[in-house]
Amino acid sequence: MPGGTLHGAPPPGAINSQQSRLRDHRVTIIKATVSAAPHAPAANAASTPRPLRRNPPRNQFFAFRGTLSKRAQILTAIGSTLFVLAVWELSTRLGLINATFLPPPSVTLETLWNMILHKNLLMHAGISTLRIWVAFALAVIMAVPIGIAMSSFRGVGAALEPIVDFIRYLPVPALVPLSIIWFGVGETTKIFLLWLGTFFQLVLLVADDMRRVPQEYVEISYTVGARPRQMLTDVAFRAMLPSLFDNLRITLGWCWTYLIIAEIVAADTGLGFVIWAARRYMNTSEVMAGVVAIGLIGLVTDQILRLVHKRLFRYL
Amino acid sequence: MAPAPYLVFDGVAKYFGDLEVVAPFFNLTIKRNEFVVFLGPSGSGKTTLMRMVGGLETPSVGEIRLDGLPIGAPDRERGMVFQSYSSFPWLTVSENVAYGMKYRHDMTPERKKKRLDHYLELVGLTDFADFYPNKVSGGMRQRIAIARTLAAGSEVLLMDEPFGALDAQRREGLQLELRRIHRQDAKTIIFVTHDVDEAVFLADRIVVFSKRPARMLEDVDISAELGPDRTIALRDSEQFFKLRTRILRMVRAATGEEEKV
Ligand SMILES: Nc1ncnc2c1ncn2[C@@H]1O[C@H](COP(=O)(O)OP(=O)(O)O)[C@@H](O)[C@H]1O
Ligand SMILES: [Mg+2]
Repeated sequence: MPGGTLHGAPPPGAINSQQSRLRDHRVTIIKATVSAAPHAPAANAASTPRPLRRNPPRNQFFAFRGTLSKRAQILTAIGSTLFVLAVWELSTRLGLINATFLPPPSVTLETLWNMILHKNLLMHAGISTLRIWVAFALAVIMAVPIGIAMSSFRGVGAALEPIVDFIRYLPVPALVPLSIIWFGVGETTKIFLLWLGTFFQLVLLVADDMRRVPQEYVEISYTVGARPRQMLTDVAFRAMLPSLFDNLRITLGWCWTYLIIAEIVAADTGLGFVIWAARRYMNTSEVMAGVVAIGLIGLVTDQILRLVHKRLFRYL
Repeated sequence: MAPAPYLVFDGVAKYFGDLEVVAPFFNLTIKRNEFVVFLGPSGSGKTTLMRMVGGLETPSVGEIRLDGLPIGAPDRERGMVFQSYSSFPWLTVSENVAYGMKYRHDMTPERKKKRLDHYLELVGLTDFADFYPNKVSGGMRQRIAIARTLAAGSEVLLMDEPFGALDAQRREGLQLELRRIHRQDAKTIIFVTHDVDEAVFLADRIVVFSKRPARMLEDVDISAELGPDRTIALRDSEQFFKLRTRILRMVRAATGEEEKV
């Protein structure tokens, strides 16, 4: 190992005094380690300055993009979650926080269970989820072709960009009154508000995904004889699919925000309604249970979609 | 072989905004089944010239005609191996190569399969047929692009430094094979390279370009001196060596040219 340093040394004739000193230094070290080796390695190694210091391995837990085993990651995730729950539980049990305002996790879970048993919580959750998927499906079916057209054809892009960009910045709650005037307080209003919150965002995200498809893919396709439509479906759409899927997953999460707004304003079913009704009686534990239910549904959906992503796009 | 004009650059110039890439007026006539190599300093505009033939750029001035008709949108008639040698990440190696034939309705599936196997074998990718591109090396990805373009069976092949990332042995094998395909299938080929040795070995004709904006400095008829048949033995001949030295001087002159100004 230390001999390796000699290979880098310049030929004796060509070196100045400083380099020469450096070289001599190296040579003595090598001699020292070589002569020391056969006798008493442990004792001598300590007294000899080490010629080359290798960096100690980085702690993978905090190394930038370090590697951590799947098991260690799962354990860390569980550990941190339990820690947060424990702090929360203790701070209410010890009276640091008034349990009327923030019920501890144990109470929240118990309430959640009771609501499932006696208050039809699962039905409310099911209705909310259904509303989200209907509105989301509607938004996706419309946004994907329009977004693709916007970034594929300059004319369409120029025509739609200002409108989409304007509506995108309108806060959904501001449109609740209009929507009630138009559609009343039935399902249509809820679906409309959800659609409104996601469609315009999605159009721009889809357009952007398409814009990022490498020009080379398009050119490869054309030069082996694809017609423009074949290029779009066989190559451009296929190339944007992974990022499209990711954007859909993220947008689906936003839907919950708008759902709660819609269900608070005008509904007698759904998780938003449950939460809002509980608030009226200062039933904080039921409010918390409703919020936790939303969080759990979101978590599970997201994990499933991530898994599907992994399965679909193995080549990434 | 009738020496009729086939691919004609007629008074071409190209600007990207204020940037003059091909100086006015570039004229070049390429015969059918001619193997032309473009040699020139990097950034001189060779890729741009090729892209104009491919229909991926349009000349700012002048016209490029193929078989008498002006070039329009890109088509299978003019196949390209791109310098970036990309492949589609969602297709396996063999699917990527087969993509070259996807829009050929004049071939039976059996014929396509045979061609696929042949070109995979040719570029040495048979063992990696089912791999995704992200699992193979850069050199292999380059071979995917070559095989795909050959499988497409274009009349005109535009190859932009296609052998750049390959090891010497693979490179020599593919050079021989490209010459063979050229003679056998009667292809017209424009080939860009930095490697003078490769240029002399492959070309019927070498066009040497100046620094940007591209101007034609030399137009050397290689076949007149080396003949149409290229074998490995040719590489060791004195004739080859002398020609290579001559071309090398031209390229040096082209690169150093602007330093005099
Ligand atoms: N689409 C483009 N827009 C602007 N400039 C470009 C474009 N394509 C190429 N160029 C410029 O044209 C010049 C010639 O490029 P290129 O044809 O790739 O040269 P070469 O292939 O000979 O190395 C370079 O300076 C490059 O930056
Ligand atoms: Mg180039």
